[in-house]
Formats: sequence, structure tokens, C-alpha cells
Amino acid sequence: MAIIVNLDVMMAKRKISSGELAEKVGITAANLSILKTGKAKAVRFSTLDKICDVLECQPGDILEHEKE
Amino acid sequence: MINEITGWSEMKSLKLSRLLVYLLMVMLILLLFIAYFVAVWYDELSDGTGIIKSSVVVPGTVMIYICDLFGLTAVFYLNRLLANISKDKVFIEQNTKCLRIISWCCVFAGIAMLVFSLWRYYFGICAFFAMFMGLVMRVLKNVFEKAVELKSESDFTI
Repeated sequence: MAIIVNLDVMMAKRKISSGELAEKVGITAANLSILKTGKAKAVRFSTLDKICDVLECQPGDILEHEKE
Repeated sequence: MINEITGWSEMKSLKLSRLLVYLLMVMLILLLFIAYFVAVWYDELSDGTGIIKSSVVVPGTVMIYICDLFGLTAVFYLNRLLANISKDKVFIEQNTKCLRIISWCCVFAGIAMLVFSLWRYYFGICAFFAMFMGLVMRVLKNVFEKAVELKSESDFTI
């Protein structure tokens, strides 16, 4: 997919573990893994909002578009 | 879910469908053994209204065998489809495959009947209905295919 999820990078910058992020955002660890590995087909605005809240970043810091 | 008025449940309905499928399977297996006798009986019973005026015993037997084999295949996949549904696996790739095979079975059985209509015209009507059934199954397969895609999209929406 042309959308790249840079959640790993942002998590490393904020020094937050997957389990902690999943708990704070309110999603399961399995769903967070789907998101991190780029298998997700869509992200709800509400989920993105919570992730940005917890990681104190902008959606653009997590999502990136790359030409195929 | 149980219907309050009739007391009929979804599981009971599925069980009835599977029972009917098994019944049909038994009938089709039996037909394999009596195909020739059915063709002889039909030859005596029917009049020669077709392009080819000869006896229908041989072509009739062949047609019954072909349709029976396609029928058995379709019933086998119908049973698999019902088994998947009873396991709550509705919108999966395997069900789409089952519907596609059933659809092709109907079409091929229709073609066999169409060929047989050279001997007896009215089998053309049966061929039409078999092919129509194949078309309905194909549309159903397309619906399932789209539903599988939508379910996958929904499952991977975080």
C-alpha cells in the first residue's frame, strides 16, 4: 500500500511500549500490531485522534504517503 | 434466534436444509444405478418430438449420467456451504468457491440438457431453467465475493 505507518518510529521517540499504547488508546494489542505492521486497511479518525493524543504528535508524524 | 410464534429457530432451519441436501444426495446416488431404466421408461413414454427422431435410450442415459454427476458435485458443495454456515463461517473465501462451483455445475447440466433437446424439444426448457439457476448462483457468488471483501476491510479497520 502507498500509505506507510510510522507508528514504530513515533513510539520509539516517545519511549512507549506497544502494550502501554494499546491500553491508553483503548484498542487491543492485536489491533495495534495490525496497525504497526501495515496490514490495516483503514484507521478510524477516533483511533487516530487517541493515538495522536497519547503520542503527542500529528497524524502526519504517523502516516506517510509514498508514490508506488 | 427463535421465532416466538412458530418456535422455529435458525439452527433448526439449517438442520432441515442439510437433511434435504442429504436426501437429495441419496436420490442422486440412486439415480446413478437406475439411469438406464429411467431412460428406457422415458423412451417408451415420450413421443419423438425433436430434430433427431431416434430412440432416446442411449442419449437419455448419457444425459442423466452427466446431469447426475454435476448434480452430485453441486449437492456436495451445497452441503459444505451449509456446514460452514452452521459453524458461523459465512463470508469466507471457501463459500464463494462453493457457490462458483455450484453455478458452473448448473450451467454444464444445462448444456447437457440443451444437447439432449435435439432428441426431445422440451428439454430445452429444462436447460433454460438450469442455466437460469446457474446465473442466479453466479450473482449470489458475486454478492458473497463482495461481502468477503467488505468483511476483510471491516476486520482490518482499527
